[in-house]
This record gives sequence, C-alpha cells and structure tokens, in this order.
Amino acid sequence: MSTTKNTNDQGKAYWRSLDHLAETPEFKELAQREFPEGASELTNPVSRRKFLTLMGASMALAGLTSCRRPVEKIIPYVIKPEEIIPGKPQYYATNMPFGTEFFGLLVESHEGRPTKIEGNKNHPATRGSSNVFMQAEMLNLYDPDRSQVVRRNGKNSNWNNYRASWKKEAEKYAENGGEGLAILSEGFSSPSMMRLAKAFARKYPQAQWVTYDSVSDENIYNGLNAATGYMARPNYDFTAASVVLSLDADFLQMDSNDIQYSRDFTSRRKVQSEKDSMNRLYVVEGTYSITGGMADHRLRVQSGQVGMFTAALAAELSAQGLGLTAPRVNSEFDKKWLKAVAADLIANQGESLVLAGRRQPAEVHTLVALINDALMNTSKTVSYTFNPDMQVSNLKSFVELTKSMNKGDINSLIILGGNPVYQAPVDVDFTAGLEKVAYSVHLSSHVDETSTRTTWHIPKAHFLESWGDVCGYGGSGIIQPLIAPLFDGKNTIDVLADMLSEEEVWAYAVVRETWSEILPTGNFEKAWRRVVHDGFTDVNREIAVAFDKARAQDAVITSNYGAPAASLGNMEVVFTASFTNYDGRYANNGWMQELPDSITKVTWDNVALISINTAKELGVKNEDRLKISHAGADLILPVWILPGLAENTIVMELGYGRNIGRVSKGVGSDVNLFRKAAAMSIASGFTAVKAPGTHLLACVQDHHGMDAEQLAADAIQKRLPVIVRESTMDDYQKDPAFAMAFAEKEELKSMWVEHDYSEGVQWGMAIDLTSCTGCSACTIACQSENNIPIIGKEEVSNGRDMSWIRLDRYFSGDVEDPEMLFQPVACQHCEMAPCEGVCPVAATTHSEDGLNEMAYNRCIGTRYCSNNCPYKVRRFNFFNHTKDLPEIVQMAMNPDVTIRFRGVMEKCTFCVQRINVAKIEAKNEGRDLAEGDVVVACQQACPTNAIAFGNINDPNSEVTRVKAQNRDYALLGELNLQPRTSYGAKLRNPNPALLSGTPATDHHA
Amino acid sequence: MSILKKHPERDPGATEVVGGDELLVTGGHDFTSLTNKVSGIVENKPPSQWWLVFTMAVSGLMLLLGAIGWLVWEGTGVWGLNNPVGWGWAIVNFVFWVGIGHAGTLISAILFLLRQQWRTAINRFAEAMTIFAVITALVFPGIHVGRIWLAYYMFPIPNQMLIWPNFRSPLLWDIFAVGTYFTVSTLFWYVGLIPDLATLRDRATKTRKKVLGFFAMGWRGGNRQWQHYEKAYLMLAGLATPLVLSVHSVVATDFATSMVPGWHTTIFPPYFVAGAVFSGFGMVMTLALIARKIYGLEDIITVNHLEKMNKIILVTGSMVGYAYMTEFFIAWYSQNEFEVFAFINRAFGPYAWAYWIMFLCNVITPQIFWFKKLRRSIPVMFVASIFVNIGMWFERFVITVTSLSRDFLPSSWDYFSPSIWDILTFVGSFGLFFTFFLLFLRFLPMVALSEVKGVMPEADPHHYHHKEGGAK
Repeated sequence: MSTTKNTNDQGKAYWRSLDHLAETPEFKELAQREFPEGASELTNPVSRRKFLTLMGASMALAGLTSCRRPVEKIIPYVIKPEEIIPGKPQYYATNMPFGTEFFGLLVESHEGRPTKIEGNKNHPATRGSSNVFMQAEMLNLYDPDRSQVVRRNGKNSNWNNYRASWKKEAEKYAENGGEGLAILSEGFSSPSMMRLAKAFARKYPQAQWVTYDSVSDENIYNGLNAATGYMARPNYDFTAASVVLSLDADFLQMDSNDIQYSRDFTSRRKVQSEKDSMNRLYVVEGTYSITGGMADHRLRVQSGQVGMFTAALAAELSAQGLGLTAPRVNSEFDKKWLKAVAADLIANQGESLVLAGRRQPAEVHTLVALINDALMNTSKTVSYTFNPDMQVSNLKSFVELTKSMNKGDINSLIILGGNPVYQAPVDVDFTAGLEKVAYSVHLSSHVDETSTRTTWHIPKAHFLESWGDVCGYGGSGIIQPLIAPLFDGKNTIDVLADMLSEEEVWAYAVVRETWSEILPTGNFEKAWRRVVHDGFTDVNREIAVAFDKARAQDAVITSNYGAPAASLGNMEVVFTASFTNYDGRYANNGWMQELPDSITKVTWDNVALISINTAKELGVKNEDRLKISHAGADLILPVWILPGLAENTIVMELGYGRNIGRVSKGVGSDVNLFRKAAAMSIASGFTAVKAPGTHLLACVQDHHGMDAEQLAADAIQKRLPVIVRESTMDDYQKDPAFAMAFAEKEELKSMWVEHDYSEGVQWGMAIDLTSCTGCSACTIACQSENNIPIIGKEEVSNGRDMSWIRLDRYFSGDVEDPEMLFQPVACQHCEMAPCEGVCPVAATTHSEDGLNEMAYNRCIGTRYCSNNCPYKVRRFNFFNHTKDLPEIVQMAMNPDVTIRFRGVMEKCTFCVQRINVAKIEAKNEGRDLAEGDVVVACQQACPTNAIAFGNINDPNSEVTRVKAQNRDYALLGELNLQPRTSYGAKLRNPNPALLSGTPATDHHA
Repeated sequence: MSILKKHPERDPGATEVVGGDELLVTGGHDFTSLTNKVSGIVENKPPSQWWLVFTMAVSGLMLLLGAIGWLVWEGTGVWGLNNPVGWGWAIVNFVFWVGIGHAGTLISAILFLLRQQWRTAINRFAEAMTIFAVITALVFPGIHVGRIWLAYYMFPIPNQMLIWPNFRSPLLWDIFAVGTYFTVSTLFWYVGLIPDLATLRDRATKTRKKVLGFFAMGWRGGNRQWQHYEKAYLMLAGLATPLVLSVHSVVATDFATSMVPGWHTTIFPPYFVAGAVFSGFGMVMTLALIARKIYGLEDIITVNHLEKMNKIILVTGSMVGYAYMTEFFIAWYSQNEFEVFAFINRAFGPYAWAYWIMFLCNVITPQIFWFKKLRRSIPVMFVASIFVNIGMWFERFVITVTSLSRDFLPSSWDYFSPSIWDILTFVGSFGLFFTFFLLFLRFLPMVALSEVKGVMPEADPHHYHHKEGGAK
C-alpha cells in the first residue's frame, strides 16, 4: 500500500485518508490480527466512533491484512500474495480433536478455501492416512445449517450482548468464588484448554467443572486407574504382537486411535510370500464389528458376558501356569476355544496382546491389564501413559451436576460444546435441571436440542476455523485455522479465555502463550513456526505409568465378573457409537448419512440389529418394526438381521433421531431414550415384540432381500470362492498358487489384436484383501476428492447410490455365525474394457497410459456401458443431484474435478486430476514421472496401506511388487478383460488347534 | 355402419369356388363392389366406434407426450431403473414395437416374392402397422438416453468437435438398421398405395381430389405405368426382404454382443427374428379381426386368410419355444456358472412370474393352432393373438431385465420395479400407435384394392387358377 502523503486538501480523497488510517497503531494491530473483528473496542465507549471508522477501513482494505481472501466473488489479485498460484492448492498441517484423541491432518486449500483433508505424514498416529470421520469433517465445515448467530432465549443477538451478559454474571461469582457456577465441557486433551481450566479453577475455586461425553473411553481410564493409580491410557503396540485377543474391542474402527492401530495391526499381516508369517487375531464380541470381520477366530458372546469370559480366560491362563489369581466365575464358554486361546497367548508371552473395548466396564480393563502383565506384555505390546492435558468424560460427576441443577444449586451453567440434552442418559434428568438454571450458555455448532433450552446459544467455530492445540499419543500439536470462521463462530478456547479475562482474548494468543511454556527455550518464534508448519512435535508431555500388579490383583479379586445370560424375555441391548454419525456429530453430514454401514450396508437409518435365531424367535424379518420395551419405555426401531450377532442381543446405534438441519431431519431414531447412567453401553432387561407395519431401509447391497431366497444364496456361496479368493496361512504354505487355482485352464485368447501397453507409464492398482479391514475411509475420501453427489435415502433405496468405490461385504461359512469378507470394487480400468466398445458416441475411451476415461461432455447417457460392465462400477446421474447444492456446500467441492450433470455416466478415474498434476509437474521439471508422484485418494486415505497404485511398467514400483505376489489375482479374470486393478487373495491365520476336529468353516475347501 | 353393411352390387348367392379352388375374395364381389366397399370406408363418415377408439388413442398420445415431458424435465430417474438394471421398459418397449413392425414388410415383401396371394387382403394393413410400430419404437431410443437433447450425437453428422459416433457400438448399428428399415418400408408402402390413391382421386371432388391427385403422382393406370410399377414393386420387395431379417438381427446384437449372462448368446439374431415375426403376426391378427368386424370386411379378409396367418403364428411360436429350450441347453452345456445361473434365475428367481407368463403365452398358446377348428375360430384366434402380444412383451422384459438384475457380482444385484412413468409411457405408446393407425384407416384404403383385384377370377377370366394368376 502506498503511503504517499498528499498535502493538497482539495485533492484529499477517501483512499488517502484510509492510508493515513492504515498507519495508526490501532489499525496496525487490527491488521495483524487473524480475524479483524474490532469488537473489543466496543467495550471502550470513547473509541466507539473510531471503531466504526476502522471497520469501514478494514472492510475496504480487506486485502491489506491479507490473512484470508474473499470467497464469494472471483476477483483477480491486484497484488498477488506470495506463494499463491491460482489453481495450485496449498497444504497446511493442523489437527482434528476427536474426544480425547486427535488426528494429525494435512488440509488442501484452494485459494484460501479448504477442500480436502488428508492425514499428516509426520503425525505418528495418522501417518498420512485417515478414517471416515476425518474425511467427513470437510463437509461439516461447510454445513449450511451450522448456527450463524448468537441467540438469547431463541432470539437473535450478538457476541457483544452475550459478552456483556457474562461480565454481569461474572461480577456475582467474583465475590463468592464461583459458588453456583458450573462448566460442562466435552472431553479434551489440549494443553491450552487444561491451562484455562486450571485458571478457571483458580479464579472460581467454588465452581464446578464437569466433563461429559456420550461416547468415551471413561471405562478404560477408570479400569487402569484401578490397575495403576493413574487415569492412564493403554498404548498398544500391535507391531510387536503376534497373537491378539480383542474382547469386544473394535480397535480397527470405532475405538480410539483406530488409524494407527489399523496400520500397526495389518503391518503384521503384510504377507509377501508363503515364507512370511502373520499375526493371529481372536475376537470375542456380541456385536459384529469390522475387527470381528478381520478375526482369525471369532467367538460370539453376549457383550454383557465378555467380562465373564475374561475372568474365565484368566482362570484358564492361571490353570495353564500363568502367575495371576483369577476372579471366580461359573461360566460355560467353549472350553476348547478357551484352552486354545490361552495356550496360544502363553506360547507367545511378551508378543501377545489382550485388549478390551470401551463398552466393557472398568473392572474388565483392570483384569485385562493384569492378564497382559502376567503374559509379560507390559511395556512390550502395551504401555500406559498419563496425559496431564487430558480430561476424560466423567459420568459420575455429570450425574452429580444434574442433581445439583435439579436441586437449584446451580445458578449459571456454561456448556462448552457437546449436546447434553440429547446425550444425557434418560434417568439423568438434565433437561429438567437445565430449566432450573437461571443463566445458561451453550456453545454449539448447531442450534440443537440443548441450544433451544439455554439462555444463550453461541455458535461454535469448526476446528478448521480455529486456533487450538492437542496433546497425547506420543507428542503434541497445534490446530491452526484454514479459513476465517464462516458463520461468526468462536471456539471453546476463545469463549473460555474471554470468560476469564477482562479484555477480549483470542485463542491465537492463548495457544501461543501455552506453547511458550511447552516449547524448549531458545528462539520461540522459530520453534513455534516449526510446530505450526509441521502440525506436530515430538515434545511429549505425557508421563509413562507403571503397572501396579498388587493393586490390580486386589481390584480384580474384589470385582464381580459374573453376569446372567440374556434371554428372549430378558434381552440385552448394546448401544454403539454410530459407524457414520458417531455420537450424533455427523448427523447433518450427507456423506456420512449416505455412507453405508460397512457391515449392514444400510444407509440413512439406525436399526435394531438382531441375530438370525433371535429374529426367528421374534417372528420378524428385515424392515419389520420392532417394539423394544424396558421399564415402561418403548422404542420402535426397524429390524435388520445380522448373522454372527450374539443371541438375544439387540444392537442399536447412537447419534440418530436428530433434527438439526436439512440432512438430519427425520433420519433414524434417538435411542438415548433407553440409556441409563448405570448401563451406558450394555444394558439388560429388555423385551421385544413385532410392531405392525414396515420401515423402508435404504441398503446398498442385497437390495430388497435379493440374497434372501435359496437360489441366490446358493449362487453367491458358489461364486464367492472365485470372487474373493481366500485361504489360510497354513494352506497357503502348502499351495502357494491357490489364488490361481480358479483361473481358466486354457490360455485366454482375444478375438482381436490387443493394444500394446508395454511402453511408457501404465497405471495400475493392487488391493490386498488380507489387509483391507472394511473401514470405508477410501469411500469417503473418494467422495470428497471426486465431488460425488449425495442423493438421499429414497434414491439409495431405488438402487442408485453413487459411490465410486463399492465396498462389497460377503458372509461365508456358517450361516448363523459366518465369517466376513470385504472387497472394495471400483472401476477396474480393464485393458479390454467392455464398456468402451458399446458406447455409441465414444464417450468412454482408453488413454495411452491405460486409463478407462469418461468424457462427460460427450456422454449422452445410454447406460449401455454400465450394462456391459461385469463389475457394475459405473454410476449414472439419474437426476441433477447438485441442482440445489447450497452455495456454502459448493465450497467443499474439489475445483479440479467436474461436477457431473444429470444424464451422465461417471465412475472411478484413478484420480486422473492427480495424475495430470503430477504429469505437468514432472514435465515442468524435465523429468519422468517417479514412483510416489501420484497418490490416489483412496490409497492415500487407506489406514492399512491395502491399496497400491503406480506404474506397472516400472519394475521397481510398489504396485509392480505387489502384483508380482503369488496371491495376486484379477477379479473375474476369466472374462479376459485384463483389469488394471488386481486383488491380493485374503489370508487368515487360524489356530490349528481350533481347526482339527471341527467342521470346516471355510468355504473353499 | 348401416351403409357399409349394404352391398347392392354384389351377388350374395355367387359361388365361392372356381375351378376347384376357394376364392380369395368371397361374398360374390366384383371389381366395382370391391372398389365401392373399400373406398366407401374413407369416403363416408367414420363409424361411431372409430371416434371412440380415436379419442382413446389421442388421450393415450397425450399421456405419452406428458410422460416424455416429465422425463425430459426431471431426468431418467423418473423411471424405475437402478444401477445394475440400466435398461428397463424403454428398451423393452423399443424391441417390442420393432418386433411388431416385422409383420408388414414380411407379408408384403417376402410373401410377395413367394407368390402367396392370400397376402393381398392384409398387406396394406400390415404395412401401415409396420410403419407406425417402427415410428413408435423409434421414440424409445430417443428418450431413453440421459441427455435427450444430445441424442443427435448418435448420428454421423460432421461437427466442429471432429468426433464421429463409435461404429463398434451395436446401438449405432441399430440407428442404421432401423432407419433403413423404416425408409424402405415407407417407400414400399407408398409405392403400393399409388394405384389406390388414384382410384380414390377419381372418385373424389374439390380439395380432396387435388390432395389425392398430388399423392397419386399422375397415375392413370396405363400399361406403361403398370409395367414400371410392377418392376419397382418387385425391386423394392427384393430390397425389403433382407431388411426384414437384418433389422431384428441387429437389434438382437444390442444384447448378443454384450457380455451380460443371458444376453451373450449367438442364438439371438435368428431367435429375435422368429419372435418378431411371431409378435408381428399376433398384432396384425388382433388389428385385422377388429377392423374386419367394424368395417364389415369379412369377404375380403376371409377366415382362410386368418387360418394361414395362424399357421405362421404356430410355426414362429414353436421356433421361439425351441429357442427358449436351446438357451437352457447351451447354458447347461457351457457349464459356465454365470450362464447357468442366468437361466435358472429367469425361470425360478424373483422374475419367475414374468418368465412363466412369457412361456405360457408364447409357447403354449400357439399350440392350439394344431387344431383346424381352433385355427378357424375367430374368438379363439383373437384371444390367442392378444396372448401372443403379451407374451412377446414379456419376452423382451425377461431378456432385458432379469439378465441385468443379477449378473456377475452378487453385491450389485438389485430388483427392478417400474415407476408410474414407465407404465404411462408404455400405455401412451399405444396411443401414439393407434392414433396413426386410426388416421390411416380413416383416410387411406386399408385393403390394397389393385392387388386384391389382381387375385380375383375377373383379373384372369380365361385361365383362372389362383396359384398362377394375379399380379405378377
């Protein structure tokens, strides 16, 4: 900006006066702020006029601050910001808090607009991978239904009014030390939050701070508290574990730190050849998780009896000579199974790992820690750490708080995030208590169930709009904003810091101040910039905690592990975090609602999952309505029958039945109605009867019970060994070429001269079914990268789901207790593609580098290509799905990928936009494409590295190496379409002791 | 109606057998009575039934236009299609109508070359039906695409993008095959109409005379004109004959060249042609029986004619049945899991009901025509012809939908249910067809006068023997 002075009064123009203003210290301060608000000046009445002048200037000179650029209008840069090339994305590291855990991110930003989330390669947990929740945050950021304005008693207000109201309130508490004041927050692990929480406690010593989450690791922490004396977290090292026993733990998907654990666990299953070995996974569970699907042996046990099983296992281990005293229980579990597992664990002492899921009560975790210690696993496959910056949910104190509220002891309640009205257990009458609180504030991203009942609702900023920090899992990191708050939101640190200080303080200053203590002394600015740039630092504030055997043993002996078995008259209900909605935080996220549950393949609904036998006894079938009753309360849920579920168990997902926006409206039912504080995850004493009517469920596989009739079921079982080729490690060693056994005996011949693809770069993909857990991260990553539309429940139930990656799920073996197989299927990019020949307008053709391409502009939509595709991976735009896309959601779209109009066919492109970027870059640098230049979205997201992609003509590329393995096979290879995607046959590693004598459960014999 | 029933010129007591052969035209008609009879239909006011049926047909046409309008406005999704089932009723209807369009040209061209003189009673009628059926059929490939406004990409039109259609695609072959068939059929029909248009012209006055005169192209009935005419007719018959066989063979390749189990079979081209002739005759029969009754044409379209058509229905129906069994045999013989399942699934899967409707209508129904009594019974043949029409629609449905519904990977299997718009479009297509057809009945001679006259004894008074006489 020019600062030339013009003394000619006549010619003195507005612009120059702005320049003058720009030199004032006030404006300079404003300009340096991340988000010029100027609102703090309002507190000083003298400067109010000045403020208004400043606001005018700051708006007119928005470019001067150059922190964020306007998003609505396309205006060319007059002065181009450094390092920004229009059309070339930039990447920023940040972190995503998720309860008490967090994920390290690298976010792609197009001209100041974040468009895609990836894992941060340098982050020890994510290592560049992601899960569905990370990917879905992109759409949460651009949720048009997010709260946009401060509300007081339901009427629009503003931040200044809120702030003024709190200052008035704070005056009261300054005198009495905070008596009658309470803060209710979500669980966190953040140094800055902990610092503020401590400051809050100092300022208001009589005030309460309560933490509550609907879904949390509280049981695990409590269990380890009994075993170590600390609220410690177990850290599992799956890379060191040869035998893993998972007790109702879904460590591959829903439990904490799933990305790292998925990667570590499958790293021991990356079988290169028959000479390698692999780990072994035993799973004991009542639900059917994807972890159960990966199991080499899975035992169906009602979730409520998993504790008893653990006790029985301890007894068996003790009987087999392990030094621990087991609690006494009378159990009738499969003796052979128990013996074999115990023997396997003992045989692998120091290399085994037992872990229990977050649903299991604390005493199970104590016992598991004891077992691990007896197996010499402590500090080998499991270690314990205490995180001083972490605050986990505390149900007990939440119950206490609610009691105080109902008694009228709480005058002011500040709810920082979360949604306690929706999430509170039904017997904890939070809603009634809230009515008795005179002054309540709710910080929330949406105007939700809680917001409508509090005095103040203040909009919460998304983490991609905020400064913050995280700590745990071997280091610490900083959350930096990618974009200015879209809807005038503030984050938790902003609000809390503001409550504690006289002047306005913003999170950036708070976080910097916190980190000035964390970072090693020296050049703070340099170190700070380093952490912001990397997103993560090794500086670890966690404290290693030792296992206290005597303490654990005492706790175990005095605990009760017995549990009566559930029966039809006394059914068990298991509440699980939703695979897609989690605790409800993704309820208004179309990607997540439309993402099929990995196992049931149901979208847009939560269901009552029951086993085949239970369904028979209740006389219900899929899509029937089930009336579930408990203690006078009824709930009707649609039935979905899931083979492999424990008998007399109903599994239901949390997070549904919300109405916070256009997506969540009318989706599913709220099952919190049944949740009691004493039985948050596993409850008993339920009955169920068939209710009249049916409920349409949009399922993307086995549509309309297409696999139900015997004819189809037989055909599927007959085809399955060819489609998903599977063997055991032992059989593989005997017959290394088993994956080829199904191939046509005669050499496949083509009717015409085949194109020569031996030259140049030729793209190919290999998917290892042994490592694929079925987590669906690839599906959402693909949706985010490729602008795949959301079509809604009705269209999904019409069988028109648009996912480019279809995650096929098959059951094999025993009908009632089957094994589960996953197979991600996207366009296979056949060299002899059957789709290409039949297109009358040549809209789908083959590229020189072996891609099967779609020219959307040329496509007229005959759908002939889709008919002729044996993999059925082409997706047709039956309607114009993006017609009503709100402008704000349009910002989530990847600008490098075309939005498809109705009437056009689409499908996996092997992320051709990424290939082209890499090609251009290589060309600019005057070199050939190298391995790793192109990483496709699904491959990047995959937490288990199951997907390899690259140049199949490069003998040293990863994909060539994987394709050279003897497990590699082409899906439907006998059709001689020569697909570029191939699959690595699935291997399991069953315990021979459990195989002999039992009827063969594997289907390929 | 009453006017039509009167035949003042004819001699009702005249013999129906000349020289030991049954006459093709009964009821003692001479040339004049025949001309009066057929021309009278278009010259007099139509019967009240015509108005009733025409109103219904136009309503159907409006329905079709409405359904297409909604389709264009909203998108292909208004139909019941889903991901595995990319082709549904639109393609079924296309093949159904193209199939019906087979009878006309077969009757006029192939039977002409084979000197089957009984064809003259029904050929005009059948040809008109062919043309209107093909027009109706052609609606569907146009509207079934996702971006209807770009359907012209399928034509080889030079364009600024320098892109040609893909000549490897059977859909493109369709464009040429059906287009050629339509052109030649229309020409053939029109050429055949010229002498009759001249007859009508000679009886007409004022504007009508001028219009008919224009289309009669100056026909005077001179020897030279007849000579040229007969040659042109013969040549067109020669041209049309291979087209009858090619058009449905090409339509069959839409399915046969794909790799969908249940589609991918070499038997399709001949099997489709047989089915097309079968369905075409079924439709001709249905229409002929109605028109014959309403317009009192029992003397011209005699039971003998109908019996001959029934024989063709029997033959082609049996060929279709044979093809069904061959498909099963080949599927079993191939021992290809996918092929075997495709056919077992048809007969016993979720679409078994459709399969057995098809089987009953197409294979069992025509077998009644082994019996002469049933072959000559008007009510029986009317019901049977309706059954054939139903059965042949279901055949196309079974082929198109059941195969797609369950192909290679069970994970993508899905069931197809039509939406209301599928149904309205199909019903509406009958409206389009009948609107055309009724206008034809109203304004053009439905019987080829000149040709029928050529097979009457009067045409060859000295050596009447109908196997040798008639128009050559």
